[in-house]
Amino acid sequence: MSQINVNTITNRDKTGGPNLVGITTVSGNFNVTDNFNVTGVSTISGLTYPTAGPLSNRNKIINGDMRIDQRNAGASVTNPAASALYTIDRWWIYGTSATKFSCQQNAGSVTPPTGFTHYLGFTSSAATAPASSDIYTFSHKVEGFNTSDFGWGTANAKTLTLSFWARSSLTGTFGGGLGNSAGNRNYVFSFTISVANTWEYKTITIPGDTSGTWLSDSGVGIQIYWDLGSGSSQKGTAGSWGSSFYYGPTGGTNLVGTNGATFYITGVQLEAGSVATPFEHRSYGQELSLCQRYYLQIVTFLSATTNFTALWPSTMRAAPAVTSSGTIFLAGVTPTTTAGWFRDTGSGAVYNVYVNAEL
Amino acid sequence: MYQEVNHVGGGRGMVKLLKNGLTTFIPFDPANTDYQKYLAWIAEGNEPLPADES
Repeated sequence: MSQINVNTITNRDKTGGPNLVGITTVSGNFNVTDNFNVTGVSTISGLTYPTAGPLSNRNKIINGDMRIDQRNAGASVTNPAASALYTIDRWWIYGTSATKFSCQQNAGSVTPPTGFTHYLGFTSSAATAPASSDIYTFSHKVEGFNTSDFGWGTANAKTLTLSFWARSSLTGTFGGGLGNSAGNRNYVFSFTISVANTWEYKTITIPGDTSGTWLSDSGVGIQIYWDLGSGSSQKGTAGSWGSSFYYGPTGGTNLVGTNGATFYITGVQLEAGSVATPFEHRSYGQELSLCQRYYLQIVTFLSATTNFTALWPSTMRAAPAVTSSGTIFLAGVTPTTTAGWFRDTGSGAVYNVYVNAEL
Repeated sequence: MYQEVNHVGGGRGMVKLLKNGLTTFIPFDPANTDYQKYLAWIAEGNEPLPADES
């Protein structure tokens, strides 16, 4: 007998389910209303949603839903000349020449994809024809402590999947590059925007890199770039590993080449495996805390010639640089990953303090 | 312009950077990207102002 068609199967004394031995395929719905014990299963494919189990913290991207913007609180910024600039938390931009594009949380005020309230938007400020070596990009760096489980640089390197929602006023091939801290291992990826001004969900599976040096400490574990119109020498062939760093695919769309062109992105997730699971929505407090490992702002009041100790809300990635205005200064003690010590040398005031340990 | 700042207990403490009306104190931490920028600035042949107290 190769097939039985019944609604219910019980064991011989009718007190529970049967022991099923050797079954390899179940077609159609398979409903279980009691305990379901499985032994010996080594592979389950096709699952796209973690209905239970310890599958939290699978997204290595922090602020992938673009909600946290401590620095600019939703205000627009333009790219400086040949200098990295952090915009919303954990995301930064770079452009060879200044003011070629702007970046803003929820730029253009379009409706985000279902389930999201924020996105990161880029708008071209000119019709720029990039020189061959020019770079126009935005990027996210993942700390090595958070990517060590990928095993990259070893024979056990895991396959990763990058997923996100994207929308552009332009159609065509877009893409980016993914690499190590030293920039001598690189994988170029590409995706297509098929319909202008419409959110599209993109998934990209990246084979694990078994060679190269991939940091597993507080340095850059993996850096990911999306290309906004870099020059031809900054682009390479998509879909393979190499030792030259490229910011996007050869022939990719040049966003900065069209004045007013837009590119929006949200729901960015980088996870182990070859399947893109739905975006992992962490709580706002948890996401903010993750961001504050790299950057935070505090407001403090000091009366004249007083000292003040600030405990950072998160242990920071490295001893931070501390920026302030007015007459508040660090009290001659180097800030640590957990605290800073301040002294007001003036007549007292409310001070904004910016604490930076970004990658 | 960068200026090294002595630690309150003596010895090298931090680097102070005055820029755009803001004061940034940068620890001597190789993992700090602002310190990495300072080292790159030194490598270009620049010299910080003489050390001062914070």
